[in-house]
Amino acid sequence: MIPFDATADDAGDRLANFEKQLLTLPSRKSYLLPAFHMAQQYLDWLPRESILVIASHLRIPLSEVYATATAYSELRLEKPEYGAWYMCTGVACEAAGAQRIIAAIETVPGKFGRTDCQFLCSLAPICTDHRGRILGRLTENRVRAIFLEDRGD
Amino acid sequence: MTIQQAFLKTILDESSKHSIAQLFIHKGTCGEATDIVSVCEELGIIELAMSLNAKIIETSCDGRCWAAPSVTAQKNNDRGASYSRRFDRIDLGVNLKELGEVLDLSTVHNVFDDGATGLTSRFGQLDGSLLAAVELGAYGVAEKVFQQDQKSILSKIEESKLSGRGGAHFPTGLKWKLAAQNEGPRYLVVNAEEGEPGVFKDRHLLEADPHRLIEGILICCYAVGVEKAFVYINGQAHKGIESFMTALEQARNSGITGPEFLPEKMTVDIEVRAGAGGYVCGEESVILNSIEGARPVPRFKPPFATDQGLWGMPTVINNVETLAAVTTLWQDFPPPTKLVSLSGNIARPGVYEVPADGTLSWNGFLLSVGAELETVPAILLGGPSGTFVHRDKFEEQIEMKNIGAGGIFVLSPNSSVKEITNSLAGYNERESCGECTPCREGTMRLTELLQQETVDLKKVEELIEVMEEASLCMLGGMAGRPVKSAIENFPATWISTER
Ligand SMILES: Cc1cc2nc3c(=O)[nH]c(=O)nc-3n(C[C@H](O)[C@H](O)[C@H](O)COP(=O)(O)O)c2cc1C
Ligand code: SF4
Ligand code: FES
Repeated sequence: MIPFDATADDAGDRLANFEKQLLTLPSRKSYLLPAFHMAQQYLDWLPRESILVIASHLRIPLSEVYATATAYSELRLEKPEYGAWYMCTGVACEAAGAQRIIAAIETVPGKFGRTDCQFLCSLAPICTDHRGRILGRLTENRVRAIFLEDRGD
Repeated sequence: MTIQQAFLKTILDESSKHSIAQLFIHKGTCGEATDIVSVCEELGIIELAMSLNAKIIETSCDGRCWAAPSVTAQKNNDRGASYSRRFDRIDLGVNLKELGEVLDLSTVHNVFDDGATGLTSRFGQLDGSLLAAVELGAYGVAEKVFQQDQKSILSKIEESKLSGRGGAHFPTGLKWKLAAQNEGPRYLVVNAEEGEPGVFKDRHLLEADPHRLIEGILICCYAVGVEKAFVYINGQAHKGIESFMTALEQARNSGITGPEFLPEKMTVDIEVRAGAGGYVCGEESVILNSIEGARPVPRFKPPFATDQGLWGMPTVINNVETLAAVTTLWQDFPPPTKLVSLSGNIARPGVYEVPADGTLSWNGFLLSVGAELETVPAILLGGPSGTFVHRDKFEEQIEMKNIGAGGIFVLSPNSSVKEITNSLAGYNERESCGECTPCREGTMRLTELLQQETVDLKKVEELIEVMEEASLCMLGGMAGRPVKSAIENFPATWISTER
């Protein structure tokens, strides 16, 4: 999904769509996390505009809405950038050669990051590629193959 | 015929029996991560199955993650028994002739297997419909249990000695009883957060047999007197959420969560909540806060949730596997079993249901899953809150109380216990929520101390003691466990895996 951008032409429409959906949630504090998820589903992250409408619909002080949002690691308070590979460097993936794969990924162009355990240790080493696919039992050759496929070779 | 029996019968009568030959494609998270769809296409497996008139069924991982990408060919005989064969690692090649022979009805096999009755008995065999689950026994136990009064159910759970599979192994019967004693409204919270690195059994359960969880939820709700249950699922477990939501919709639409199936005109409202956090978000009081819309940090205990949980009301919090295991207590299958999540230096990593009543040794288990024991210096049991089991202790029996949530990582000869310990300490530091000082500062100090050239073991020990005693929740309380265990088991070298 394309992350919400307040300066883009569709910003108003996207926000309105989200607000419309938000109103289907009961106006109760208990729906704070579901509201955050809904915002990310519609806008991909939690821009200031979304926090304001959530606070007002659920009648929770703005500061508390922010404080709660920052406490969840999977909520995005900044506009995300995509296209990076994320290699798991948990215990099982390290043991299965994560460092070798990282070396291979670093030879292909593009961004790259690390994650903790992705809960698929039985198929280690695990990586999420630049298109968000989870790749299990990843090999250096597979990394190269995906890269070549992308280039259309 | 009881109302429940009649009800299940109508579900079964609604559609015709399966066609006789079936090809199960083990899709699920494991299948997708190993590209099952394109592998099947490339190998011509789908074409073959279609040409033999076999029904193609997309199903979950059956727990044998090591075999992914895999398919199972199955043939039923007219008595309903079935012969099935799984084809493993088809990315490395598959014998299409053999596959065809299993699906081909004209070849005769006489090895018909009627299936086991444990917690995993339906894994990898369902097509996502309610009918398939009911045919394989789903809701059959609830149907029987609903003939009994609440008191006898609570006694049965207590007698069975079922304990919490989320890791702490608190007696489930006692938990239910404590909540049932208090004035309602009461709540049930299902802990499907599964945020402990190295554990992936709850995700498999959600994907592979969601109706078993719903059945366990309904039994609990009836026994404890609960009309509202929250199922709190890890926000990253997309397939688990999808699979559970589909099953819940099916159960609701067919009246299983309402007075048509439940005794005493009960209706149970089951609501799914997706999580959004890290390791500590699996701690029970964090989940309570999260559901209420408060900041996801632990609460002081006491009061315990069975007295004052959600919105101050009595609340039962159980792990997914605990509730699923409830459905096995009325069968002949010998409880207790434990789901373990196996990874590392092992031929067949995956999810296994193992007896945990002291009849199986570590040696026995590891051999059965393809370990070359001479190459295994130790296993890590329980990830960042866990302990190492040194090979000298592999003769010991697997006991429920020592197995935690069942995450097992098998070390290899070139594993560095020190590196693993440091990595776990770093993880605990990153995941500390910062709410209390002993853990916020302690996990940081601990990683620092461990990274020194020569580790000051005395300081480490003192620090861990403070963290154990004074942390608000068990993340801080248990963060020192792998460190202590590493030092204890590998004291001399502390760097290599030799004692
Ligand atoms: C840091 C931390 C993380 C936890 N994570 C989980 C988890 O992911 N899943 C779970 O069921 N229990 C987890 N627990 C245990 C729960 O607090 C609680 O004991 C459990 O849900 C109770 O259910 P049970 O009795 O059925 O095991 C965690 C505990 C701590 C301290
Ligand atoms: S022990 Fe750690 S995770 Fe638990 S409340 Fe304290 S800081 Fe948070
Ligand atoms: S360590 Fe990589 S998936 Fe668990």
